Amino acid sequence: MYISNYRPRCEAVFIFFLVFLLFCVARLFYIQLFRSNYLAGIAKKQHSLYVELEPTRGTIYDRNLKPQAFNIPVDSVYISPNEIKDKDKEAIIAKLVPILNVDTAYLRDRINRKKSFIWLARKITPEQSVAIKKLNTRGIGLIKESRRSYPNGYLASHIVGFAGMDNSGQEGLELSCDSFLKGVAGWALFLRDARQKKLDLWERMVLPKDGYDLVLTIDEVIQYIAERELDKAFKTYHAKGGSIVVMDPHTGAILALASRPTFDLNIRSNISKDLIRDRAITDMFEPGSVFKIVTASAALEEKKVTEEDKFFCENGQYRVGSHILHDHTSHGWLTFREVVEQSSNIGTVKVAQILGPDTVYKYIKLFGFGTKTGIDLPGEISGSTKPPRAWSKISIAAIPIGQEVGVTAIQLASAISVVANGGQLMKPYLIKEIRDKQGEVIEEFGPRLVNKVISLDTSNRLKKILTGVVEEGTGKMAKMEGFTAAGKTGTGQKLEPNGTYSHSKFFASFIGFAPAEDPMLTIVVCLDEPHPYYGGVVAAPVFKSVAGDVIKYIRSSQESREAVAYNAH
Amino acid sequence: MRLNKFLPVVFSVTLFSLLYVYQQSEIYRLAYVGQKRQTTLEDLHNQNCILKYNIEKNGSLTQIGDKLSGKSSDFEMPASYRTMKMYYTGENLSLRERGQPKETLLSRIFGVKSEAQAKTVSPR
Repeated sequence: MYISNYRPRCEAVFIFFLVFLLFCVARLFYIQLFRSNYLAGIAKKQHSLYVELEPTRGTIYDRNLKPQAFNIPVDSVYISPNEIKDKDKEAIIAKLVPILNVDTAYLRDRINRKKSFIWLARKITPEQSVAIKKLNTRGIGLIKESRRSYPNGYLASHIVGFAGMDNSGQEGLELSCDSFLKGVAGWALFLRDARQKKLDLWERMVLPKDGYDLVLTIDEVIQYIAERELDKAFKTYHAKGGSIVVMDPHTGAILALASRPTFDLNIRSNISKDLIRDRAITDMFEPGSVFKIVTASAALEEKKVTEEDKFFCENGQYRVGSHILHDHTSHGWLTFREVVEQSSNIGTVKVAQILGPDTVYKYIKLFGFGTKTGIDLPGEISGSTKPPRAWSKISIAAIPIGQEVGVTAIQLASAISVVANGGQLMKPYLIKEIRDKQGEVIEEFGPRLVNKVISLDTSNRLKKILTGVVEEGTGKMAKMEGFTAAGKTGTGQKLEPNGTYSHSKFFASFIGFAPAEDPMLTIVVCLDEPHPYYGGVVAAPVFKSVAGDVIKYIRSSQESREAVAYNAH
Repeated sequence: MRLNKFLPVVFSVTLFSLLYVYQQSEIYRLAYVGQKRQTTLEDLHNQNCILKYNIEKNGSLTQIGDKLSGKSSDFEMPASYRTMKMYYTGENLSLRERGQPKETLLSRIFGVKSEAQAKTVSPR
C-alpha cells in the first residue's frame, strides 16, 4: 500500500530525470555535430596566438668587416586609452611631453581616442625608454622593435643610404640591395595560458630567414681620409657641392666615394633631397679640360700624332667657324706633350680636327661617357653626349675640350682608370660579397671588363704625358713627396639659365692616379662653384692630400699583414 | 564485472589520468620557466647589441676625428721638440737619446700635423 501510494510520484521523478537526460544527450549531440567547428575555432583563438617573426636585417660591412649599418633593439611606446582614467590623463601627458619631445596637443589627441592600442612614439632612445619605465604608469607600455643604426654617423652616408621606420631601404645600398638585406619573415602559432599570456610553446612555426650581410669594397679609413679632405676644401673654397671618388684602377673596386653636402644617417628628420643625393653619380657637369684625356688617347691610339709633333697655338686666339676659341695662357708652338701639359684648348682642338668628329665620338663612347657605369647605387644618370650628326660647326672646337658634353664624377674615375691600368674600361662596383649570418659567401663580385679602349703602349705613353702635367704643367699643386702622380686639371664653365656660359660659376676638377709608374689608386676630385675656381688651384691639392695619406695607409696595412703572417709562421 | 577486476581497472585508469594531467601541467610549468629564461636571454642579447653599437660609435673615425679637431678640443699632437723620452736605470731617470721624429699612421689619418721641421726625404 505504501508503495502504491508513492508509485506515481516515483514515476514522475523518473520521467523528469529521463527527460532531462535525454535533453542533455540531445544538447551534446547538437554541440558535437553542429557547433563543434565554431566552438573549436573560438578555443583555438583563445589558446593560440599568431605571431609574425621579424627577420634580422643584414649588416653592411666595409672591406675589413667593420660594420657600417646594423640593427639594434629599441623600445616603441604605446598607450591603451581604455585603461586610463580620465582624471589621470592630463598628468600623464605632462610627464610624457618632456620625455618624448612631442607636442602636448599631439599627445592629448592620442590619449583621448577610443581605442585599446595607439602608438605614441616608435623606436625611441634607450634613455627615453628608461624614463618611461620609471613612470610605471598603467596604460603605457613598451614593445621591442629593431632600429637600423649607423655607428659612423655621416661617413659614407651616400653609399650606405638608410632604411625607414619599417626597416625597408630608402636610399643608397639600403635601397638597391633591399631584397638581399631584408630577409623573409616567419610566423609561429604560440600557445596562450588562461590569462592570455603567451607561452614559449608553439604548435607550428616557420622560422624567419634573416637578411644577408653585404661586404663592400670601400675601406673605412680611406673613406674617412677622402671625406676629411673634401670637408676642408668644401669649407675653405666655399663650394656649393663636391665629390671625391677613389678607385682601384685595375679592378674598378670603389675604395671611397664622398659627396658634400652630407647628412648624419642617424638624424634624418626634415632632411632635404639636396643633402641626400650622391653628387658623384647624380650630378652631370661639363668637365672642361679633364676631358682632353679622351682626345689625347684617341690621337695616340690612332697614331695621328706623336708626343713631339708640334702645333701652333695661335698665340691664344683661334677662330673656328663663328666662334673664337681662347687659351688661358697664350702659346706659340707647343709639342703635343706640351699641349696636354699646359692644357692648351687651341692645340687640343687642332688635334681633334685631325682626328675628325667620328673618331672623337668613337673614343668618347669607348671611354664610357654617355652611358651609365652600372655602379650598384640607385639614381645614377648617364650623362650627355651627342653623335656627330648632331654636332654643330663649332662642336669640334667644344667637345674635345670638354664642353657640350655632360659627364659624372664616376664616369671620369672609370675613364682615368683606363689610362692607369693599361687601357681597359672596368665597371666600377661597390659590393664585394654577399654573406649569410654564418659567414658563408652567397655571392661574390669581382672585376668586370667593359671594353678595351686603348693599347698598353698608348696607355704608357699617356701616363708619361700626364705625369708631365703634374711635374711641369697645370697640375703642379698635385705633386707629392715620395710618390709620382699623373693627372689632368679641369675648370669647366657652368651654364647660366639663359644658355650662355657663366664667367663666375665653374666646376673645378682634378683626375689622376698615383703612383704614376705602378698605379695603386685613381682619384677624382670635383668641386662645384669653388672660390677660386681653377682646378689646378683648388682640386689638385685635395688630390695630393688624399693620395699621399691613402698610399701610406695602404702600404702600412700591407706591412702589418706581412708582419702578422711572418710571425704566424 | 567482478569487484576484484573492477577496482584495479579503475585504479589504473585513474593513475594514468593523473599522470597525464601531471605531464601536461609540467609542460606548462616548464614553459613558464623557459619563458623567464628566454626573456633574460633576450635582454642580455639586446644589451649586447646596444653595447656593440656604442663601442662601434665611440670608436668610429668620425667620432675620434671630430673630437680631435673640435674647436673646444685641447688636443694637439706634440711637436718633437716638446717631448722627451726617459728610461729608468734602477736608480734614477735618464734622458734617452732623441732619434728622428716619426710620423705615425694615426697622425696621418687624422691630419694632425706637427710643426714644420727639417728632415731628410727618403723616397721609397
